[in-house]
Amino acid sequence: MATNLTNGISSISDDFTVKAGLAQMLKGGVIMDVTNVEQARIAEEAGAVAVMALERIPSDIRKVGGVARMSNPEMIKEIQAAVTIPVMAKARIGHIVECQILEALGIDYVDESEVLTPADDQYHVQKTDFKVPFVCGCRNLGEALRRIKEGAAFIRTKGEAGTGDVVEAVKHIRTVNAEIAKAKAALASEGELGIAKLAREIGADPILLKQTAELGRLPVVNFAAGGVATPADAALMMQLGCDGVFVGSGIFKDALDAEHATKRARAIVKAVANWTDKKALIEASIEHGTAMKGISNAGLKEDEKLAGRGW
Amino acid sequence: MPPLTITVGVLALQGGVVEHIALLNRASANYPSVTFHFLEVRTPEQLSLCDALIIPGGESTTMAIVARRLGLLEPLREFVKINNKPVWGTCAGLVMLAEEASATKQGGQELIGGLDVRVLRNKFGTQVQSFVADLNLDFLGEGEGPFRGVFIRAPVVEEVIDGDGRVKVLGTVKKPGEEEDIVAVRQGNVFGTSFHPELTGDVRVHAWWLGNVVEALGQGGEGKGLVVGKGKGDAGKVY
Repeated sequence: MATNLTNGISSISDDFTVKAGLAQMLKGGVIMDVTNVEQARIAEEAGAVAVMALERIPSDIRKVGGVARMSNPEMIKEIQAAVTIPVMAKARIGHIVECQILEALGIDYVDESEVLTPADDQYHVQKTDFKVPFVCGCRNLGEALRRIKEGAAFIRTKGEAGTGDVVEAVKHIRTVNAEIAKAKAALASEGELGIAKLAREIGADPILLKQTAELGRLPVVNFAAGGVATPADAALMMQLGCDGVFVGSGIFKDALDAEHATKRARAIVKAVANWTDKKALIEASIEHGTAMKGISNAGLKEDEKLAGRGW
Repeated sequence: MPPLTITVGVLALQGGVVEHIALLNRASANYPSVTFHFLEVRTPEQLSLCDALIIPGGESTTMAIVARRLGLLEPLREFVKINNKPVWGTCAGLVMLAEEASATKQGGQELIGGLDVRVLRNKFGTQVQSFVADLNLDFLGEGEGPFRGVFIRAPVVEEVIDGDGRVKVLGTVKKPGEEEDIVAVRQGNVFGTSFHPELTGDVRVHAWWLGNVVEALGQGGEGKGLVVGKGKGDAGKVY
């Protein structure tokens, strides 16, 4: 599996090399949602490769309702001061100013996220305008390549955040994989014309689609997100081809205490580092203990689903 | 002389692993008489198969924690410091190979060691300060052009703590308005770079390091000098 992402692709700019390069350095790791300094320290000690600073974990965003926005910069600064690993933060879809604020705070990656209430119903942020890199969610290949075209240097599945139900994340990575296979077949059998036709169908840039077909994978790092709750969920997403995992509510939701959250965090790190090792996965599952209760995706009404935000 | 077989591992706990393997594969074309195996290393058993090792970029805190849990830290120290096998660390790998590190997480972090230097993590700041710069790396040979150094939340060598001159400084970078920083060092079998040659298409540093590995294993086969080329198709030159 000698996928080499940007290495060897000389046409991309230095700017994009640096943006996408940080995501490459996070591969094989776990990025954890945290809402305060204590949780950020637990994540760092457990071996997280980065933390995502946000006001509430997604399951609580669901519960509380209302408008979900960028976090308070004061809380973000406290977390930045408390850990040495990269700190990410979420901005609302299309909210250029939230992104500007996060960039000025020195955030390492901005997640333009459907978990927050969208600020623009027409446009995502033009991410090439920023020096800070962006990660964005996708449900399929067309959506992933539209975000990359806008400048995203890192992609994740949308899944269905805050549910603890992995089914949507699985659906999204399987869809991306199937469409990449289709692009490869189109390139092999019909060449440029096949790529152009498929690009029109899925609403993607043909140059990026061709690059994807040639690489046999997305041209940037692709993590799992949205409903990953257990070590087995995390290893499942790795086995389906993800490069790493975001865990939102899965660490801290319904944890008995800080010690239990620590064990859960360590267990998920272990599962992602050893995603094919069944012995390690047994140990990680035992260490993890009880998972968040969760909400079945099948029981959600359409307007309760977050993945449909963005396009 | 029987054909030489060399197994080079890339520590695969986390980070930019496949990028290194891709460039090692290209660089190996410079040594047609050697059979190379490139191996992802996650266990002490896999490490024991290796003649040389790359510790890639990633998050050094994560690597240290995962290495400890997998029982790899002591075997890695033995590999580097007792068996003196050739090792190269990039970015987080440089941090792991340093004897001391500053700006570590609360409570500090475990290191492998091998380079008598103190590294400063995240010297340049957060990701917004990450950059690309042309580096003059004399060890690549006379007349070689600059190397595009990719620095991502990069550490630098803050101080050489060995007093005996065993640590050789092989590369520096100077950002406008800042002091010159040490970004490539070598001490015997251990080589470290702050930057990421594996994120470029430029095979020269990998080719140079593989040349050192071949030489260290005692059967150069290509003459006295190190052979450096620019990848497949290039004849390579001896210096």
